[in-house]
Amino acid sequence: MTMEDMEDQPTGTPKKLTLYVAGQTPKSLAALQNLERICAESLPGKYVIEVVDLRKSPQLAREHGIVAIPTLVRELPVPIRKIIGDLSNAEKVLVSLQVEGE
Amino acid sequence: MTSTTVSKAESLNADLRRRLEEAEEVIRAIREGEIDALVVRNEANGEEVFTLEGGVESYRSFMEAMNLGAAAFDRFGNLLYANRALTDLVDVARDALDGPVLFTALGANGAKALRDLISAAHPATSAVEVTLGSGDGAKHLLIAAGEMTLGTNSGVAVTFTDVTARINAEKRAQAERTALAILASAVEAVVVCDLNGVVTHANASASSLAGADPIGSTFDEAFALDFRGATGLMQGGDFLDVVASGQPIQGIEAIAPRSRGAKDVLVSASALMVGEGSIGTVVTLVDLSRRKAAEKQQLLLMGELDHRVKNTLALVVSISNRTASTEETIDGFRKAFSGRIHALAATHNVLADRSWASIFLRDILSTELAPYVNELGSRLEMIGDDIEILPRAAIAFGLVVHELATNAVKYGALAIETGKIAVSVAARDTYFEVSWKEIGGPKVSMPTRRGFGNTVITRSLQYSANGGASLDFETDGVRCTIRIPVEDVVQA
Repeated sequence: MTMEDMEDQPTGTPKKLTLYVAGQTPKSLAALQNLERICAESLPGKYVIEVVDLRKSPQLAREHGIVAIPTLVRELPVPIRKIIGDLSNAEKVLVSLQVEGE
Repeated sequence: MTSTTVSKAESLNADLRRRLEEAEEVIRAIREGEIDALVVRNEANGEEVFTLEGGVESYRSFMEAMNLGAAAFDRFGNLLYANRALTDLVDVARDALDGPVLFTALGANGAKALRDLISAAHPATSAVEVTLGSGDGAKHLLIAAGEMTLGTNSGVAVTFTDVTARINAEKRAQAERTALAILASAVEAVVVCDLNGVVTHANASASSLAGADPIGSTFDEAFALDFRGATGLMQGGDFLDVVASGQPIQGIEAIAPRSRGAKDVLVSASALMVGEGSIGTVVTLVDLSRRKAAEKQQLLLMGELDHRVKNTLALVVSISNRTASTEETIDGFRKAFSGRIHALAATHNVLADRSWASIFLRDILSTELAPYVNELGSRLEMIGDDIEILPRAAIAFGLVVHELATNAVKYGALAIETGKIAVSVAARDTYFEVSWKEIGGPKVSMPTRRGFGNTVITRSLQYSANGGASLDFETDGVRCTIRIPVEDVVQA
């Protein structure tokens, strides 16, 4: 499990995003790279990314009921949101992550 | 229903809606190929992860076995995998290599080239060459990309081939071709020897100095240079050892006996440095033949000048002594002496104008008579062909004419308006006879004493057995017969 702090943290504590991957599968790698790019370009300092490798720790899938990999989970603010897939549609990812008023 | 029951129902409804949305999202992601692994729960083992394509590990093993740098990207340029050869090639630690690091390591141009290749990738491979770094340490990579399919994924396979060695070899070959062209184009002889003194390269000028193709022979065998000015301390190819040890030599004169005409050459040599070490010597041989010939000509001219100045000074001393012995007053001496020196100078001037080559009799006559006669054409008559005579005879003849002219002005044909001089030239066996005859002058009587003029006339030109002069005081006019030696006459 790794924790990557985003650079340039502005005001407010960054919120955690959890990305569930399955080792180094192409979609897992693509999802991580797409997510890092989206956060760096469009949401600097708002999130920290936690990567959970379900190959190494499959039991961690239970917490968020993960079925398909890769899956991105945003716990806060509620309601909890899941974005399934390789995050190649940046617009869709942004819509899911950006809550009005934030 | 109570409000609590209503609230529970709404909450359940919301939860069901959310789970339905999630289930639909999973199905969409599967359909669109956005996922490649599933979590499956079973009673015995709990959660297990299954990847949808089993080939991932096998393609990675294949990539690792390649000597070439290889990487897999998805269609968006995300790095999926890079093999160890690639991490070595871009000099990045295995753990540290991800997409951004790889693109950074390729530099701005390399990164752009790779992105273009990935975005334009199609089943047929396309390639581009990029350079990392600059100068001697520059690395040249040939990047080739082709479309590939990994299970449900479409991606791009990219190989990175290090072509630095090939490019450097091409550059070396080009540099060698250039060096050989320079060698061949050099006007001076250029010879390259290895550390054993064996000639490895030589241009056409060098072959000419060696009299044959020197390649393969030792320098000494090929050129056999003779260092006469080096007092025997240096012989043959000895200097190559000195030069190879790092001490260049410059401008040593030698003779190249093998060349046609044994040319004088100026030898310079220095060590042939490649990298930090010497691999032989470069010798240049500058042909000095022309310069040497010019130096010899100069020496010859200086000797000739010295000889003439000495002769002239001796002549001046002789004129001075003889004039002093025949003139009774200082004023008479001054006039006679300066007249004779001017006569000598006049002939000298004409000779100098002709580069001391030869001179026509008429020119000497005109020059020597000019101070005394206004209308030369009416006072001087030449019979027979003019002849061209050499400086030795010209100076003597000039002095004779001066004495005859001064005498004629004082006592003879040039003392009166109607008198004139007839000069005739006739060829004899060993000399040309030049006859000076005064016509129309006053009656002549024998002089009472023999003056310098008389002596000059009779003695001059006696330097040769064929030369000489005789003076006759005939009553109708002085006659002088001058014999110009045939060897002092330029034959037409």
